[in-house]
Amino acid sequence: MTIQSLDPRVSRLGLTSLQNDDAEQATVNQFPTFQVFTQKKEDKPFEHGGIVHAPNIEMALIFAKEQYSRRFTCSGLAVAATTSVKTTDVSENKEDIYNLIQEPAVSSSEKEPYEIFHLNKRGKQTVYAGSVEAGSFEEAAWEAKKAFQNDKPVYNLWLIRRNDILFIDEEDKDIWATLGDKKYRDALDYKATDKIKAFKEEQNR
Amino acid sequence: MNTPAIKDLLYKMADDQLILGHRNSEWTGFGPVLEEDIAFSSMAQDKIGQSQALYQLLHELGEAEPDTIAFTRNAEQFHNCQLTELPIGEYDFSLIRHFLFDHAELIRFEMLANSRYEPLAQLARKIKGEIKYHVMHANTWIKQLGNANEESISRLQNSLEYALPYALGIFEEGAHEEALQSEGIFPGEKAVMEEWKKRISERIEQTALRLPDFSQLQPVYGGRKGQHSEHLQPLLDEMSEVFRIDPTAEW
Repeated sequence: MTIQSLDPRVSRLGLTSLQNDDAEQATVNQFPTFQVFTQKKEDKPFEHGGIVHAPNIEMALIFAKEQYSRRFTCSGLAVAATTSVKTTDVSENKEDIYNLIQEPAVSSSEKEPYEIFHLNKRGKQTVYAGSVEAGSFEEAAWEAKKAFQNDKPVYNLWLIRRNDILFIDEEDKDIWATLGDKKYRDALDYKATDKIKAFKEEQNR
Repeated sequence: MNTPAIKDLLYKMADDQLILGHRNSEWTGFGPVLEEDIAFSSMAQDKIGQSQALYQLLHELGEAEPDTIAFTRNAEQFHNCQLTELPIGEYDFSLIRHFLFDHAELIRFEMLANSRYEPLAQLARKIKGEIKYHVMHANTWIKQLGNANEESISRLQNSLEYALPYALGIFEEGAHEEALQSEGIFPGEKAVMEEWKKRISERIEQTALRLPDFSQLQPVYGGRKGQHSEHLQPLLDEMSEVFRIDPTAEW
């Protein structure tokens, strides 16, 4: 017996069971994760948005665009493999994480840009602070301390080599210049509860 | 402005977007991975929104309300190319169709952004941004699966060969080609097709896929004149099933 559903698409699948027989294999096949950063407006800093699963960084960027910027205004998007994001410990109470960062013993001669993200409020997303030139994550953290530490405590630092980040190209930013009136996308716009209420009142009359 | 020519152009574009948008929405909940399910569904919604905007232009030219146009016509009154009405098949086919169709759409709307019919030019400037992402999405998948392994390459190759004659049907010329060109409204199907061949060839060359010789292909025409495959009417019945229960219902 194949499953018959009110959704004709489900009936067409000709399934005999809704169980996934291959759940274990599905776990093994899970793609790695990528961290997604969005910029809501040109003059706002990039913020951590969340993660996507993808087979590689190019696919991650493509997935991230719909996952994290289909509903809100957006002017920039970037992804980095989770394994390429170095994070510090999270500080306790009001402690500034920068106070725990020491100058590295050796200094590298070869330097490259690192992007630095701050956790400024607990429970919120990390926010872009700026970039530094460094030869290692330890050096990048020290350079960030010199450049960005102030009287506001930072609870957690994220550091990413710029070469490990993939951005939407400047020339492709018109992907967000889209049709404005998209209320049909929002469940809210159908005012379902109002309609159900009105229907019930009519039934009870 | 040549209203019959503009209406003809708007109908075929709007019908393409509506039918393909509906087809692609059939993947919602069934996509290969969650992220792709969301992306493909979101793009399907874009296409339906684009058709709505185009039907609205038609309404302003004296045609019926967008919902009436979308939900109350029969298959022979639709002007979409047959490519858009084919069943979703397996994901390789849906991806290839998305790749072939959206490249053509992007070129069409890039050209229309300069149309002398200003309402359409304004709309095209918005729509081309949306479709640009659709094309980026398609290109990324085709590059990925077109180079991945024997199974993915042969599946895409088979779908490509099956879809191409239908894809050439996108460019079936209408009765108003010359008027549209001479009045600066639209540069014509041939112009879109030439650019399309160039762009898809560039992308296919970056994969292990092979493009057949276009001159050996027999384009599937008829859609623009209301001649459709057996797949369109069942799609319309399903799409309009709820609407037809109570056409006066407010959503």
